[in-house]
Amino acid sequence: MSLTEGIRAKAGELLESGVVECVIGYERGTDGVNARPAFVYSTDEVDRLIFDDTCSHNLVKYLLNRKGKTTAVVAKPCDARGVNLLLNEHQIEREKVHVIGVVCPGVVDSAWGSKGDKLRAVCEVCRQHVPPVYDHLVGDVPASEPEVPEPYADIEKMEGMSVAERAAFWEAEFSRCIRCYACRQACPGCYCVECFVERLHPLWVGIRIGPGENQMWNAMRAFHLAGRCIGCNQCEKVCPVNIPLSLLNRKLEKEAWELFHFRAGMAPDTAAPFATFEKDEKVGIGE
Amino acid sequence: MAIAGEFEPRIVGFLCNWCSYAGADMAGTSRISHPPNIRIIRVPCSGRVDPLLIVKSFQMGADGVLVAGCHPGDCHYTEGNYYARRRLAMLRPFLEYLGIEKERFDVEWVSASEGKRWAAVVTSFTEGVRKLGPRKAVKAEEASV
Amino acid sequence: MSGYITKEEVHRWLDGLRQSRDVVAPVKVDDLILFRRVDRVEEIAFDFANTDLSPKEFLLPATETLFRVEKRDGSVELVPRDIQRETVIFGIRPCDAKGMAALDLPYLEEPADGFYRQRREMTALVGLSCRTACAECFCTSMGTGPQDSSCVDVMLTEVDGGYLVELVTEKGRGLLPESMLSQKDAPAPAPPDVQQVPSAGMAEKLRQVFDDSYWGRLADRCLHCNVCSYVCPTCYCFDIRDYEESGVVNRVRSWESCQSPGFTKIAGGHDPRADKGSRLRQRFAHKLVYFPEHFGVMHCVGCGRCVRKCPVNIDIREVMRNVQQLSGGSDGG
Repeated sequence: MSLTEGIRAKAGELLESGVVECVIGYERGTDGVNARPAFVYSTDEVDRLIFDDTCSHNLVKYLLNRKGKTTAVVAKPCDARGVNLLLNEHQIEREKVHVIGVVCPGVVDSAWGSKGDKLRAVCEVCRQHVPPVYDHLVGDVPASEPEVPEPYADIEKMEGMSVAERAAFWEAEFSRCIRCYACRQACPGCYCVECFVERLHPLWVGIRIGPGENQMWNAMRAFHLAGRCIGCNQCEKVCPVNIPLSLLNRKLEKEAWELFHFRAGMAPDTAAPFATFEKDEKVGIGE
Repeated sequence: MAIAGEFEPRIVGFLCNWCSYAGADMAGTSRISHPPNIRIIRVPCSGRVDPLLIVKSFQMGADGVLVAGCHPGDCHYTEGNYYARRRLAMLRPFLEYLGIEKERFDVEWVSASEGKRWAAVVTSFTEGVRKLGPRKAVKAEEASV
Repeated sequence: MSGYITKEEVHRWLDGLRQSRDVVAPVKVDDLILFRRVDRVEEIAFDFANTDLSPKEFLLPATETLFRVEKRDGSVELVPRDIQRETVIFGIRPCDAKGMAALDLPYLEEPADGFYRQRREMTALVGLSCRTACAECFCTSMGTGPQDSSCVDVMLTEVDGGYLVELVTEKGRGLLPESMLSQKDAPAPAPPDVQQVPSAGMAEKLRQVFDDSYWGRLADRCLHCNVCSYVCPTCYCFDIRDYEESGVVNRVRSWESCQSPGFTKIAGGHDPRADKGSRLRQRFAHKLVYFPEHFGVMHCVGCGRCVRKCPVNIDIREVMRNVQQLSGGSDGG
């Protein structure tokens, strides 16, 4: 059974039995090539659902719009980490969410109108092809996870630059930022009712677009995801001016692992790094 | 003392009320000298220090930021500085990654009786920042189209 | 057609213009093509479909300090922003120029926005007609077309070795003197085929289906990421705030999008468009109903950027086809 057939069968079953009111999956978009998110509310619509390597969206974000309502969501492994994150932070109820996990072959970097021919950069370093949480699994579990010798090669390259080179790099990248906040809107970890950029007192950022403000926005959004970012990289995908946000988020992911041996979204109930401490730990501060 | 033409670093200090602020006060009452460049902001606990405050300080023109709190185990609120330690442990490499030299940011544990030590910390931190020169302004500026 | 000019002559002409004006043109920035002020003609990307962001930012910048207020010698001084240097936007496509003409309608309607007006008066447009149409373009259904020169000062049409030139306005004739043109017996190329969408009668039809559950269902997948508004050549909403720094107050205006959650939140906490469906419907209602009813032209020029950039494939062409179907019409072509 193909991934598409498996998803359609399960979706039909869940809707028919009334276990869920809605299945969030993927369907073909208007270019006839790439997938887009699909919300299916009845069994006669399940044939809209597909799964292929253009299914690069993280559908878990939409669970935050359906709090209290029963929902099934098609989740790749990186997306499913978002489910654990939202459970950990008490944003969704486990009983109301049914995860249709997908053993993911990797998805491509696509643009409207043409299918990408390379895997997304996050897929190339993926060590998690089976979702860490699911109620139902489609796809064959691989015998083992691939060895990824240098998952942080791009981060190490940045770390190898001089401080002045990095300052110039980020100033150039942030200069394109138009503060559309698409990165925030696409991120499952960004769900604050009032984001820090909307705060007037104290005024952290404001509405002016400039080097200082842009650095403040991009750096601090990444920091608010320190130890929480699940690595789905939707932020970088939706950015209309191609700012390499993964270079920020994955730096913090690397630090969270090296300092605290923590990876976000692997389990629903492990305390996040900033929510706990060890009295005698040595983390390079004040020593 | 400011000498005309020489760079005077502008340093922002976040000091916890119970230990480090008292320690700084003790340096004062003991008449121990240190460079006057630090502008001290008193907070209840180092755990209150939001990374937003630190990055905003740099954005508004600070050349250096120093956070000081109670020694781990001695926090007036029992645990605040343990959380601060974790948060600032992640922030420090991140600031350097963004292009802010590591000598511009430091965290020190200073107790209420460590007046002499406080003066030494401020002196060494200020001189470290002075050597680097002013932080290249990534300040609030009008973006040109 | 007023004449012909070779590619080399265009380069020389632009170089000359640069001495007294800001020349803004499409430039390659990593994987993007963006309009930027150029210091050298060699920076210009002459071979491009369209830019990733529209050139509206040169009339309505993404952020702008409108004026500053300072206390000086006991009195208060208000210093407005003043543009001293003229700008030439080179390489603007007919759809984007039509977009600028659409922006003129709300901004120049009396009382006019002085900041917009000054930039508009100090800006000249040198258009580049389209030899090919993108898969997502639909300009001919939205009141313009790939060779529409009605909204530029000079229109260039690429032919072998150079461009056919149409000097459209007085400003255009002043910018590119006819003496610089030659005559060439080159036929104007046929316009490319542009995909049609069923835009006829859209205002009335959308009003008919205003309360349909379609809008909520469509908005299910919308992230309210604001990208559509920000890449659009005709969207013009903004926010204004005053910021005080070191005794100077700056009044700053920046782009905003009706798609943002909280866009219509008002004092007291009420938000008439708190739900996703009504916010998304507003985008299409403004573009296809309210603006055309008030100003007589569509508030979409069919450039296709929103289609290309929407991360969840909310496609205005599909919306128009759906509206036709729901209101009982056929879904056209």
